[in-house]
Amino acid sequence: MIHDSAISLTRHTLTYIIGTTVTQESQFQPDKWPGPSLVLEEAPVLSPLHETIREAHVVLYSLPGFHIELKDQRERENNQSHIMATSHVDVPGEPTETGTALLETATGAIQGFQPINSIHEHLCAFHFYADDMTRQVEAHHFCAHLNEDVRQCLIYDSPEKDARLIGIEYLVSESVFLTLPDDEKPLWHSHEFEVKGGYLFMPGVPGAVARVDLAKVCKTYGKTIHFWQVDRGDPLPLGIPQIMMSLTRDGQLREDLAEEVEKKFAVSFEKERENRKDMTGPDHGIHPLANAAGKGLKTELREVDIPPATSMPRIFV
Amino acid sequence: MDCVEGNNFFKKSMASSDEKPGSTPVMGPGPTLPGKATTLGSKLVDTGAQMLQSVKPVKQMNMHACTFALYGHDLSRQIETHHFIQRVNQDFLQCAVYDSDQPSARLIGIEYIVSDNIFETLPPEEQKLWHSHAYEIKTGLWTLPGMPELLQDPEHKSLTKTYGKFWCTWQVDRGDQLPLGAPSLMMSPQAVDIARVNPELVKERNSRYGVSAGDAKESRVEMDEPEWINPNADYWKQHGKGFAIDVVQVEMEGTGALI
Repeated sequence: MIHDSAISLTRHTLTYIIGTTVTQESQFQPDKWPGPSLVLEEAPVLSPLHETIREAHVVLYSLPGFHIELKDQRERENNQSHIMATSHVDVPGEPTETGTALLETATGAIQGFQPINSIHEHLCAFHFYADDMTRQVEAHHFCAHLNEDVRQCLIYDSPEKDARLIGIEYLVSESVFLTLPDDEKPLWHSHEFEVKGGYLFMPGVPGAVARVDLAKVCKTYGKTIHFWQVDRGDPLPLGIPQIMMSLTRDGQLREDLAEEVEKKFAVSFEKERENRKDMTGPDHGIHPLANAAGKGLKTELREVDIPPATSMPRIFV
Repeated sequence: MDCVEGNNFFKKSMASSDEKPGSTPVMGPGPTLPGKATTLGSKLVDTGAQMLQSVKPVKQMNMHACTFALYGHDLSRQIETHHFIQRVNQDFLQCAVYDSDQPSARLIGIEYIVSDNIFETLPPEEQKLWHSHAYEIKTGLWTLPGMPELLQDPEHKSLTKTYGKFWCTWQVDRGDQLPLGAPSLMMSPQAVDIARVNPELVKERNSRYGVSAGDAKESRVEMDEPEWINPNADYWKQHGKGFAIDVVQVEMEGTGALI
């Protein structure tokens, strides 16, 4: 019986040690990805052997009286006080089962995550629906540079572990924006007002450091699409995608929302405004077609013809 | 186009997911991204941010799946996708979808996945935007790169019964160098001719990841088929219709014009 194997996954130098009296946790940090730690009790000390993962898998699930406690290292990050999203509704569903969680801890340790490992920046800003300025959402952007001129961001409704993934934003520099077709430009919005106004900020980063990057963001244009209308209490991502816009002048942002965010993140928009006085927007001024050319934008669903399905489904070879 | 005179309501479709945007210097052959290489300055700010900020929501994604998807308005357009997945609970997952697993990967959309239990609670109008997963999982189109097939089993057993809703924001397969137009609804491969993935694409993907199609199918063929796949999902199958999204200009509700 293979009850005395130590598994070495050389790719990430992660070792599953099975059948030892190790009572303290082993912690592994492959690259920057926090790995799982194993706490194993009540088993004899045995020398490590190299075996296949297949066998380890069998062992983990078949040894009687064998206690495995898998703690996700990410659980032990600094506990910030839990900040509730503005309209937090629980996502329907049963709690994750142990078997599933276990497997996903393994995938988290073994697989590669390069595209999301490139996500290094957290920006907080406000979006409103392109057809209804009164519906406004606090939007947490987690951004990666594709190059100096183009960024891509995942948008969540909070910066917490239980945040809902609600949308995507792309940011481009002015020079790239100007190459867009005229029909495309209205879907994009400028960032000058919200950056200069202090409403777009980088939580946790000292002002002086943040302003280096924000001065660049000030000159960019963004395209934001949301898929989950959390502001109307949707428990799931229902409906069709929504084009979103950003603040372009005074009087748009709801005061209650502004105050709530200022309090949550201990920032003052007014103070930041002072500090950002010298920032400038796009060199050629805000393009007249941007920000939906001053109008609203709405998405609609349309049925289209596609060729009919042919009769007999064939077995996939 | 409809025009309602009395309300000064002008409707013009600015962008549609099933139409090609007008030609522009931006769109050339090949997938070159316009713009300059990331400067050292930006990288330093990134590093600074990285040290000071926690990107907790992003760190919750702990699974990478590679599969194939079809455009909902044109099933012949097929793309390889890389899903970075967070399981929110036993019935719901949220995925960031990229066109590759490299650092240069482009973010091309988001997919949400729900269990059959959740799916059955959705109204029919909503259900028609979703697609089933049984076929792509059983045939090994969906795979977790780097994970031995046996370890993938528990996940696949639960995923075969799920439904997905996948919006694509960047049509890289048609050569768009930037995310243009309206988002597209995507569909999943099915056991019907027009929705089968081109075997060449699959072969190339499998050899790149050392996936043996044989292995996958062997271990998965024993998996239970869902007893029933809701006919409202994979809408095109029963109705021969796909979906496109239009973006139209309207009057803005709220406190006045944007500019």
